[in-house]
Amino acid sequence: MALLRKRVEKFAQGWFAFALWILFIIALYVFPYSGFITEKNELMGTLQTLSQLFVLITLASNWNLIGGMTGYVDFGHAVFFGIGAYVLGVLVTTSGGALWFAPALPFWVALPFAGLAAALFALLIGMPTLRLRGPYFSIAMLGVFVAMREIIRVWKPLTGGGAGLTLPPQNALFGFPQDWFRMGEYLVMVGLMGIAVGLSWWIRRSEFGQTLLAIREDEVGAEMRGINTTYHKIAIFMVASFLTGLVGAFWAWQNTFIDPDVVFFETRTIEMVMMSMLGGLGTVWGPPLGATVLYFLQDLIWANMGDVHLLVLGTSMILLVLFLPEGILGSLSDRSGTSFGGLFSSSKRTEREAAPQEKSVIEKSSGGV
Amino acid sequence: MDAILQTLIQGILLGGFYAVMVLGFSVIWGVMGVINLAHGEYLMVGAYMAWALSNAFGMDPFVSLVVIIPVMFVVGYVIQLVLINRIVERPHLMALLVTFGLGIAIANVVKLLYTADPKYINISYGGATEIAGLTFPVVKSLIFIASLIIMSALALFLKRSRLGKSIRAAAQNKNAARIVGIEINQVYAITAGICIALTAAAGAMISLTVPVFPFMGPPFTLKAFTITALGGLGRIPGALIGGLVLGITEVMLARFVPGIGTNIGIAASFVLLVVVLIVRPQGILQGLRPMDEVD
Repeated sequence: MALLRKRVEKFAQGWFAFALWILFIIALYVFPYSGFITEKNELMGTLQTLSQLFVLITLASNWNLIGGMTGYVDFGHAVFFGIGAYVLGVLVTTSGGALWFAPALPFWVALPFAGLAAALFALLIGMPTLRLRGPYFSIAMLGVFVAMREIIRVWKPLTGGGAGLTLPPQNALFGFPQDWFRMGEYLVMVGLMGIAVGLSWWIRRSEFGQTLLAIREDEVGAEMRGINTTYHKIAIFMVASFLTGLVGAFWAWQNTFIDPDVVFFETRTIEMVMMSMLGGLGTVWGPPLGATVLYFLQDLIWANMGDVHLLVLGTSMILLVLFLPEGILGSLSDRSGTSFGGLFSSSKRTEREAAPQEKSVIEKSSGGV
Repeated sequence: MDAILQTLIQGILLGGFYAVMVLGFSVIWGVMGVINLAHGEYLMVGAYMAWALSNAFGMDPFVSLVVIIPVMFVVGYVIQLVLINRIVERPHLMALLVTFGLGIAIANVVKLLYTADPKYINISYGGATEIAGLTFPVVKSLIFIASLIIMSALALFLKRSRLGKSIRAAAQNKNAARIVGIEINQVYAITAGICIALTAAAGAMISLTVPVFPFMGPPFTLKAFTITALGGLGRIPGALIGGLVLGITEVMLARFVPGIGTNIGIAASFVLLVVVLIVRPQGILQGLRPMDEVD
């Protein structure tokens, strides 16, 4: 078993896995032309399904960068999705002239701004909360999420408030003919997913990624070695937010309508957490796998039981932590080295923190009564 | 001037409620180091129980506390024994994920049982009384008084009773408490039972002033966190001060800043939290600094 784990681990981080991923992306680009599905409507339906799946994979992969690799669980990551969507919406429509100084931008020009806005917001949130160790970040993100939705609702002149923004109807991207209208979004999503997962693979291999894992395993230790942990945490948080903002912006463009409730949608965050956990926190290929499994489970099993969907998600989150804490891939990979160490290892917290840590600000959360 | 004083009173009344609302969260965090993200959901369950009792038997929410507190004590005790005690000594991350999942599950069970429509409790003694030219809303004043009583009772219990001393011992030094023969798992379960019963009691009381619906919980969890960060872990005076700060801030904002609805309270508490984390990461009363313990 240990040998198998080592092999899986080595494979997942190797160039061969990356090459396979590139091949897979190319195959996805070729797929619509392959004549595999000839009937137009069926092909468009398949492309739409795949695009939705790729949105989930991209989101899960992004969440995993901060939540899985550094161990700072982000309970409000969908806020960056929302910010991306709204920045794009406002730039494209100029909010019916409320943004009088700016011309209405075309989609491609507005897209990078959406990502940048999300990353800047991540910097703003990360500066106070990621300085601290422990659960502060997680709760703050929960708050950011709820607060942002209220702010968007109140800030009527710019965001349209609860009534939302309607984006101008879009021509198919890349000038595809009318009966190929799903093609454009499919191609963009394949690209975004390819970049997100590829980036995750690269980060996991790089020194930067190893630093993140070190922070997750033993933050005090990492600090002792001279690592500026705050800088690393904020940097990866910004990267993850940038990509999530792009996905949100793209989603808004494709949906042509945004309001606070569809964009700041709790279930989206919950799904991001679930997909990463299911596949394996901190692994490269876990979140895509988890997203795929969850997507098809939802589609096949409880598509017609909308009411219990969240109940099942919540319960399975508890069961996963208790019985499969490392996810599908994590339980297959090598845990002996630093690569997948004691995040969920059975050693108790007391043992791991046995060394006195005097200077720690809020590491130890047990106070007095 | 009158308007300011009047708003201040409302803020204080709200703050008293916040103080009792936060106790369960803050003591669980202080004693076992678990951030209970299902806090708001326990509060919501308490509110629903009050509504159901008032609906079925016409029981007054303040009277129904007699039923709600024991029932929720058992619920909290059992959940702690079968679920949280398994992960309480593992990394924070696990407790966060489990309680987050638990909160989602509870909210959705309630939604399946009672639908997502908001529920209201009708009582006969609404309105307000006037004392010295200032108006006091009756229900909110009653909640404030009940909160003070609950807080004093908890303080007395922790300070004087044998069980309360065990809880404090477990919070200060778990291993030493084990050595002197305190059954940590039992103490944790009892603590959780008390805390969750208190939270549900707070929920039952607030059900008189706000609509009750399955997803009312998360804002309360966030506010509880903010207040705990302000006032300190498991500290009852700290909870009162933190609650008052948040309550007054919220009410003042809603009253004096134009164009801001009451919903913005959640944004206010978030901004307050970030400010506290920037300025005084150890909490206003230094309550977040680890005690001199090696655990």
